[in-house]
Amino acid sequence: MENAVLRPQAEQRYREELEALRLWDQENRKPQNWLLSPRAVRLFILGSRTPVRCGGQTVTIRKKYLGNDALVERCIITLAGNRGLMLVGEPGTAKTMLSELLSAAISGCSTNTVQGTAGTTEDMIKYSWNYALLLANGPSRQALVPAPLYVGMEKGILTRFEELTRTPAEVQDSLISVLSDKVLNIPELGDDGLLFARPGFNVIGTANTRDKGVNEMSSALKRRFNFETVQPVRDVALEKQIILNEVGALADAAGITQPLDQEAAELLATTYHELREGVSAEGQRLEKPAAVMSTAEAISVYYQTMMTAWYYGDGRMDEGCLVENLVGAVAKESQEDMDKLASYFSTVVREKARREGGAWTRYYQARGQLK
Amino acid sequence: MDALLSGERTAEVIPFSLDAPVLYYPVRHHSPACARHLEQVIARYDPQCILVEGPENANDLLPVLTNPDTRAPVALYYAYRDEGRLLSEGDGEPEQFCCYYPFLDHSPELVALRAAAERGIPGRFIDLGYAEILLATQSARGLRTEAEKQNYASDRYLAANRFQQRLCEKAGLRSFEEFWEKYFETAGMGLSDEAFVRQMNTYCLLSRQNTPEVELREDGCLAREAHMARRVQEAAGQYRRVLVVAGGFHIWGLLHPDPSHLPPRTLPAGAQPVYPMRYTMPAADALSGYASGMPAPGFYAQVWQALHGEQPERAWSDVVLDYLVRTGRRLRRDGDTISAFDETCAFQQAQMLAHLREKPEPGLYELRDAVLSSFVKGEASLSGMGPLRVLGELTTGQAVGQLCDGALIPPLATDFDKKCACFRLLRNAASAQEITLSIFSQSKHRAASRFFHQTVFLECGFARRTKGPDLLHGRDRNLIRESWTYRWTTAVDVALIEHAVSGATMEEACATELRQKMAVAAKAQQGAQLLVQGFLMGIGDVADDLAGSMDRLLLADGDFTSLCQACDCLSTLEEWQTQYGEQGSYDYPALLRRCFARVLQLLPGMNTVDDHGVLGVQQACILLYQVTGRAAFSALRRPLTEAFGRLVRRDPIHPALHGAVLGLLYGSDPAWKKSIDRAIQGYLRGTRNMMLRSAAFLQGLFCTARDLLLVDRDFLGHIDALLVSLDEADFTALLPELRLAFSYFVPMETDRIARLAAELHGARTINLYRAGVDAAAYARAEQVDAWAAARLDAFGEEGDEG
Repeated sequence: MENAVLRPQAEQRYREELEALRLWDQENRKPQNWLLSPRAVRLFILGSRTPVRCGGQTVTIRKKYLGNDALVERCIITLAGNRGLMLVGEPGTAKTMLSELLSAAISGCSTNTVQGTAGTTEDMIKYSWNYALLLANGPSRQALVPAPLYVGMEKGILTRFEELTRTPAEVQDSLISVLSDKVLNIPELGDDGLLFARPGFNVIGTANTRDKGVNEMSSALKRRFNFETVQPVRDVALEKQIILNEVGALADAAGITQPLDQEAAELLATTYHELREGVSAEGQRLEKPAAVMSTAEAISVYYQTMMTAWYYGDGRMDEGCLVENLVGAVAKESQEDMDKLASYFSTVVREKARREGGAWTRYYQARGQLK
Repeated sequence: MDALLSGERTAEVIPFSLDAPVLYYPVRHHSPACARHLEQVIARYDPQCILVEGPENANDLLPVLTNPDTRAPVALYYAYRDEGRLLSEGDGEPEQFCCYYPFLDHSPELVALRAAAERGIPGRFIDLGYAEILLATQSARGLRTEAEKQNYASDRYLAANRFQQRLCEKAGLRSFEEFWEKYFETAGMGLSDEAFVRQMNTYCLLSRQNTPEVELREDGCLAREAHMARRVQEAAGQYRRVLVVAGGFHIWGLLHPDPSHLPPRTLPAGAQPVYPMRYTMPAADALSGYASGMPAPGFYAQVWQALHGEQPERAWSDVVLDYLVRTGRRLRRDGDTISAFDETCAFQQAQMLAHLREKPEPGLYELRDAVLSSFVKGEASLSGMGPLRVLGELTTGQAVGQLCDGALIPPLATDFDKKCACFRLLRNAASAQEITLSIFSQSKHRAASRFFHQTVFLECGFARRTKGPDLLHGRDRNLIRESWTYRWTTAVDVALIEHAVSGATMEEACATELRQKMAVAAKAQQGAQLLVQGFLMGIGDVADDLAGSMDRLLLADGDFTSLCQACDCLSTLEEWQTQYGEQGSYDYPALLRRCFARVLQLLPGMNTVDDHGVLGVQQACILLYQVTGRAAFSALRRPLTEAFGRLVRRDPIHPALHGAVLGLLYGSDPAWKKSIDRAIQGYLRGTRNMMLRSAAFLQGLFCTARDLLLVDRDFLGHIDALLVSLDEADFTALLPELRLAFSYFVPMETDRIARLAAELHGARTINLYRAGVDAAAYARAEQVDAWAAARLDAFGEEGDEG
């Protein structure tokens, strides 16, 4: 437990699968500096039906990204080509997870990451200096502190750029020359100041469409990226499966041994799905809340409820607690959202409780928490 | 998957040997791979006769399809009108059925028929006739399901079953179409003919095994197969090598027919007409929802051409590249910034995706993915999907087919073509065209307008009037030009084929149908509207017949509103006969007189009209009055005023009608003024309920004689005195209707009336315009504004200095 981390990186989490795939993949053609072939990367992310045989043992490759398989294929091919990959979409649509999985499979490293914020500066992306060494010895390679873009180019690995559109436009544009010429100019180093990117280098950007859209990106930078729009999950059963998978992984990491509650996952998946789409399975029209109704939010609501049950209760998921946490997740933007949630309960949930009973009835009875 | 499809076992169940006396070749409609292998099989097998799955009542038309001058896409149009009530019961109109059988250059069926024609061997259809198929099909199943456009060549057995869905899931493919393209179109090209046929048979047999037999029976499949098998047997007795080209799904059924399913009777050929017709690529696209074969027909047509080019092994890559370049060019033309580098990246993407997906060549799905990745800049929202929309249009294609000369085209369609050529209307444009016609000054334009009206009457969906006088609804009659938009679609040919029985020319067909409609018209209003349509279509020679029927309707119709509307239509025709160049076509004034007389008979009985209908009767009275204002009808003024006189003497009478008729009577004879004064006093001084109806009286009066209030001071005085005498509660109750009554005056007149009314109360110089704000307050506000502006200027200067 001493070495345990709160959230292990993808390459650690799936070390066994990655190693098995590397052995399995020896005969396949790989782009230069890629640890796996595009076919093996696809297999790693989308899973295989039959376990992979390598050496004397077989390893099951689990499906990690549930959703659009063709999108994953396009992403892999884009990264093997000349352009960067830009994942855009609503918050909580697993863009970051996909970017992490791609980096882990292709470069074996998902931590070479720039986190874009309004305060991100160019030196956080490219390089900065160790000022003590700089003052003592003047500009030299030793005094240079590489940032993720520099590291990616130097090692020939992927650089992830999270929330790229949250950074100021002029900082974004510093990527243009690197993405087109694949060379970084460090004028302080004089004649030695050109860093040529090694094969295998590329950039995966993510941007969410809620904050600052991709429309504000300069068209010069847009041209250097292939865009992939990650859509929210359209299938309730799939959303339920994602919730269970992710919560299962979180619970394992936290040492919670409580079995997962299928019914609670279904309640949440249905609620989130219907409120996001603005229409219930029975065709009733609903008002969509302004708050983000993503699968990631549903996972967090489930996990909170599960922890409450584990630490304070008897381990059983309580619908009252579920609704309480749901309120916490929805009541972010405005009071109107709470009214919309309450009217969802008084129409759709009520109807489902009447028709299906069971967990839906308990869920409906817990509506008192909405006030 | 490859192992599954290689189908060694199937070969035992469905043999395929070039030495066999009857060779069964399985196809999917519009599949280039099936067609390509079929070409090779025909060359190798050298058949003496080719039998093709298709309704055999079209066999006489096959020379048209195979004529070198006929250019695909074309279709066979089958129709059946259930006169004998074989398919439905009841007394209503007999049910009509129709379906299309489209052919593209890469349709295996067309390839087979063309090959037979080239080789000079018999080639024919062997399926049941269309009507027999319908007879063998249960209601609401197969070709008898309710659909906008039924297609004979449906693929639903191959594409829509659970087995097929699971196959796609397992192969990690998005849809049946992608599955088909991967394993049959791209990979199929690399297979030998035998291996390809084996793979087809395996897939189709699995599909068949996963389709319940009861479904096949209800859809008429088993009956069709039994019939086809019988035809095959007959041919096998005549020829030594017979090639049977049929949907892959049916091959097993052809080999194991059950004669008990054969339909008991056949119908005479005349009862089910069939015509060849031009078709379009958009109509042939499966995505248009007609389940007519493969999607993106333009894309596969180009692949088919490339397969016959110099480098058939590069056909797919070349076509994908070509589409990327064309999409890029179209987007640049529309203002997008797609560079050659984008196109290079997209092509690379398509090729690498094909490799990753283990496809031998990139196909339609890699093309779409490449455009989505490399051309869409930003979020793939509705606005961001422009590149995919453009690609979709290009892969569907715009081609319109052509039939050879001498094809069995209904004379009506030939006449339509002739008229289009005469008026220089484009027949091959896929987009809508606009034309403006000066119908009153140029006789050729009037002739074109008649033709357009004829197409509208026959419901061809060819032309739509966007602007111009609308005699039918009495709108925009002041306009002197007509604007039309028109566009030819396959629906136009279909409509013409359907109306072909009515006549050989447009005029003849319209005249026949006009007569038919007139014969069943029940109201004078409907009859008059048909007259107007005939008038607009310029069919003078039916006017006599129609007018005879119209007389009958006028006598039989007792509905006042309907008669008034008929009167309106006839009055319009009478009025516009000369301008439209229709003088002499019929004696409309005589008809109008008869209609007028009928309305007059009924008019006095309209006193009890309710609030809802009173406006209509008011309008009718005004119309009648206007008609008698024309010199030709001045003699009718007297009978009209007499009828009006009888009407106003009725009691009770609706006050709004009372007012309106009195107004009209005053217009014809000022002596009626006294009656008006008496009536208004009667209303205002009557019981409370009558008083409350006085506003309605004024509304009626002002709608026909508003000048009364402007020219007659005394009348104004009367009304004023009466209004003054009302207490406040009554006045408030009356106010809404009073407002309505005064709305007939233009603002200048309202001002004048107000001034006169003010004078009656001694306020000679009263200012009717009350300022919204008083002058002092306005001046003060202006001062504040100027002060604030000065402060802001000063602040700006300080800022600059700072």
